[in-house]
Amino acid sequence: MEQRAVMAEPIVDDRVIKACQAGDREAFRLLFESYKDRVFSIAVYSFGGDEAAASDVSQQIFLKLMTSITQFRGDSAFTTWLYRLVVNACTDEQRKRRRFLNFGKSIPVTVVGERRPQEKRFAKLELADSVQAAIQELKPKLRMPILLRYVDDLSYEEIAGALGCSRGTVASRLNRGHQALARKLGHLRNEVVLGE
Amino acid sequence: MFSEHVSKKLSAYCHGEVDSAESRQIAEHLIACNWCRTQYEEIRLGVKLAQRLPQVSAPDSLWFEVQAGLAKANDSSVRPFSFGGWRPQLAGVMAGLVLVIAVGAFWFYLRETRPFWEVARLNGAPRIGSSLMNEKGRLAVGQWLETDSGSRAQIDVGTIGQVEIDPNTRVRLVETKATEHRLELARGKMSARIWAPPRLFFVDTPAGVAADLGCAYTLEVDDEGAGLLHVTSGWVALQLKDRESMVPAGASCATRPGVGPGTPYFDDATEVFRRALARLDFQPGTQETKIPDLDLLLMDARPRDTLTLWNLLGRVEGNDRVRVYERIAGFSPPPEGVTREGVLQLNEQMLQLWKDKLETTWSQQSFGRFGKAWIKIWTGALGRVKSEDGKK
Repeated sequence: MEQRAVMAEPIVDDRVIKACQAGDREAFRLLFESYKDRVFSIAVYSFGGDEAAASDVSQQIFLKLMTSITQFRGDSAFTTWLYRLVVNACTDEQRKRRRFLNFGKSIPVTVVGERRPQEKRFAKLELADSVQAAIQELKPKLRMPILLRYVDDLSYEEIAGALGCSRGTVASRLNRGHQALARKLGHLRNEVVLGE
Repeated sequence: MFSEHVSKKLSAYCHGEVDSAESRQIAEHLIACNWCRTQYEEIRLGVKLAQRLPQVSAPDSLWFEVQAGLAKANDSSVRPFSFGGWRPQLAGVMAGLVLVIAVGAFWFYLRETRPFWEVARLNGAPRIGSSLMNEKGRLAVGQWLETDSGSRAQIDVGTIGQVEIDPNTRVRLVETKATEHRLELARGKMSARIWAPPRLFFVDTPAGVAADLGCAYTLEVDDEGAGLLHVTSGWVALQLKDRESMVPAGASCATRPGVGPGTPYFDDATEVFRRALARLDFQPGTQETKIPDLDLLLMDARPRDTLTLWNLLGRVEGNDRVRVYERIAGFSPPPEGVTREGVLQLNEQMLQLWKDKLETTWSQQSFGRFGKAWIKIWTGALGRVKSEDGKK
């Protein structure tokens, strides 16, 4: 999994949005380039590191974005609108996967992060990999606020807009998410402190 | 002071998402309250851990996939199917049930009626969509087939041929109908054997479309989207927008995203020749900086390499074109009716006449007595392949 420590700042403004609404391909490309890594990252962490599934969902998200951007009226920030699409697409896909499993599908969906025993995996992976693995094991409702905060650098207000909940709920879920991470990875406390 | 713990506000406090008065109040409380301080240390560790979460780069093929999906959606005037608008919690129980049944039935109907290709597992555990496949499987339009490092698969392309999928490869069935069969190769390697008439089988890659003209070939795409086509029999057209290379048996052609296909070359050309050609095709530089590579290429060219030289005529300019012309003419002078000036001005008719003469050299070793027949097929197909430009 190729990783990028620093994300590119989006240069999407109202003019780009309007150009996209007018069907300008170059503007779409700019929009895509600005958000592709953020969207893909959310998807890849939402599907246990399964890059193929993440790629499919990211494709759906950008297709949806392109085909429905004319419906964006600017009542909320564009990022709120975009991340609502991202959250909905990831949630829908997770529901679909759960439904297939509930129907007794004989071959379970393979999740990359589940291939090895937890202890063995944590012992071998680097710190960043351990964090990824722990994030992937969080419940979706705790995981998504963490991803939006740390992968996409959204404020509580923006996260609340994307998730369709209150700011207080975001604060509460982040609290629980942080606690869960600390409990799962408490043994790495020294590495985190030394790495500061 | 201890009547109201601040533990629920600690993440917001760490993120600076509380106002200054509340922040001061929380800080004072933490000094005095051991329990909240313990909670704070735990949450602060959680914050520091989460800050280690790296962003993941989207694959380069994603834009291409989005474009392909958009083109397909536009073509069919049908918006991509999505469960996005489904909100069962907002509907009554009965309405929800009806909706689920209707959507489920529709989904299964679509799934069962989508055109598909038969896939056979050759090794390991290939996946179709998100499911591991058994010995046999079906690859429906829109579905991805993916192999890992230990798996291979074979696809029956309707009744017109077969495609073998090597390890670490990702392909998608884009279209299959009587007049067109189209596969997308996002990464990895595939080998195709097609026995149908030309122009029926296409492979989309991030750096061009390979159009089969009745042949066998291998096609590779790396993680950057760069491709390499190697033709083992017949002809293949490799195209991106207006840039096109016709590649005969025994020859290869590289292709790069944003550039398109390079110049075809025979695999038995010298290494010096091939390296110089790669630099000419894809390395950034001016006409002046590329002169040494052109020198090497012309020096190492053999009569059979007029395949490359003829294709280069339209890709170089000025004195470089004159030098390429002279080199080809040294191997095989232009036939009657073809003038130096006409060739240098890229007169299509003259170029074609000269090419007809040169092709006997190109096809000698690869086709024998069938060479002429292939050339006729290829010539007839050329115009129609160009009409596929809109697909990219």
